[in-house]
Amino acid sequence: MDTTLLVQALVSGVLAAGLYALVSVGLALAIGVIGIVNFAHGEFFMVGAFLAYQLFVTFGIDPVWSLFIVAPALFALGAIIYTSTIRFVLKAPELNQMLLTFGIGIILQNLALLIWGGDPRTIAGITYRGIGYQIGGVSIGLVPLASFVVSLVLVLGLYWMLARTPLGRAMRAVAQNRTGAALVGLEVNRVYLVAFALSALLAGIGGVMIAVIQSPTPVVGFAFTLKAFAIVVVAGLGNIRGILFAALFVAVAESLVATLVPNGDTLRNAVFFAIIFAVLIRRSWRTA
Amino acid sequence: MTSVQARATGALEVRGLEAGYGKIQVLWGIDLDVAEGEFVAIIGANGAGKTTLLRTLSGLIAPRGGSVSAFGRPLRGLSAARVVRSGVGHVPEGRQLFPLMSVRENLDAGADYLPAARARAGRNRAFVYELFPRLLERERQLAGTLSGGERQMVAIGRALMSDPRLLLVDEPSLGLAPALSASVFAALEQINADGVSVVLVEQNVHQSLKLADHAVVLETGEVVLRGTGSELLSHPRVREAYLSL
Repeated sequence: MDTTLLVQALVSGVLAAGLYALVSVGLALAIGVIGIVNFAHGEFFMVGAFLAYQLFVTFGIDPVWSLFIVAPALFALGAIIYTSTIRFVLKAPELNQMLLTFGIGIILQNLALLIWGGDPRTIAGITYRGIGYQIGGVSIGLVPLASFVVSLVLVLGLYWMLARTPLGRAMRAVAQNRTGAALVGLEVNRVYLVAFALSALLAGIGGVMIAVIQSPTPVVGFAFTLKAFAIVVVAGLGNIRGILFAALFVAVAESLVATLVPNGDTLRNAVFFAIIFAVLIRRSWRTA
Repeated sequence: MTSVQARATGALEVRGLEAGYGKIQVLWGIDLDVAEGEFVAIIGANGAGKTTLLRTLSGLIAPRGGSVSAFGRPLRGLSAARVVRSGVGHVPEGRQLFPLMSVRENLDAGADYLPAARARAGRNRAFVYELFPRLLERERQLAGTLSGGERQMVAIGRALMSDPRLLLVDEPSLGLAPALSASVFAALEQINADGVSVVLVEQNVHQSLKLADHAVVLETGEVVLRGTGSELLSHPRVREAYLSL
């Protein structure tokens, strides 16, 4: 086997893992803190991507700067969706919650299809997209590298926030015992709102990156919901700290299959399903 | 103390309180007065509405009728997070600790979100460790790994960290060995001696009536008997139904 190809696949996998972790950590935050399995999470990612695209097309704003517009916009979108829908189903059966978030996802996706159509959209003419580095036959693009670094900083920043800040402690308290949290003076609903909005914000930032890395269509969100789910399942539902390693595992697996298996590129999504199945079956053996 | 004085300095004044869950009404017109510094016991069988009463007082359940005020401030319609700001602490049924946080983090959580309590956190933490020296030994241990008695101590300690002037305590002796439950009662006595009014819900009728200045007996959501602790201890109905004498 060609070692350069193997190393290239590993490097691509590691670089992709950053973005995957960023998107998944938001999903894990909603599951871990609020107990909501948000099937619309990937759509926040998609909305972030298309906002960045539109800001570029209409105002010529470089995606690097549109990050600072998209992030608060997605925070607001998350807050609106929480306030208008999620908070009413917190005590509803899980199936109802999943149907609700699934419905929200379909609405967002179809709104995007109405506005932008189904064709891939490219942010054309940004010079740094072409920049790359060659190290011993392995190529590393500037954009994937930057997205990896930014994602890593954000994920580690979230870990730090949860561990060390009053808001983070409040989120952990609410996640661990809702009644106890209310009795120590936390407005539980407000903490949930911030957690959900933050989850949308992180996905939105990931979306801006994908708008530069790829040429997304409005259905890109579903693929990322699936990827994020595989990662969240590998880490263990609601386990936020395990996300980084789970993302690394899943992204490298995807990259290896896509590179080393003949016609592997068409198998990318199958890798995620296979991982979800394998992990769930293994866990059921362990607990049986 | 006369009833007029009691009302002027009341820690808690409950009038015609009604509450329940869904279609089931549990409390039917409860009246209850707690003077400042007083120790009041609420006794009654399972399902009499004792826990529901405390949950309604602390804002975990919204009342359906009647009024509640603490230290002259109306509490009705306030969330639990706001009730605790009015100086009412709640040691809830099931303890409701944060299992993945340490003992210290659980205690500090009691003060972290209340500016007034945060200012007194050092003093209150020292008081909690004086009441329960075992918690100081276990400061770094996760609350989820503690024994039942230690968890109860953390629950009481966490409520004390919110610097309450009135403490609502739900079944602190539940599931505890007799020696441990005696030390929890001793702690409640000391808390009360420190000037905190206490409302105690207990299955352990003998212990709680001995401690209580006043007590009420709850049956199917209504107050059926009132009196001082010693009056109720010798009341035939209490002796027969709750003390098996």
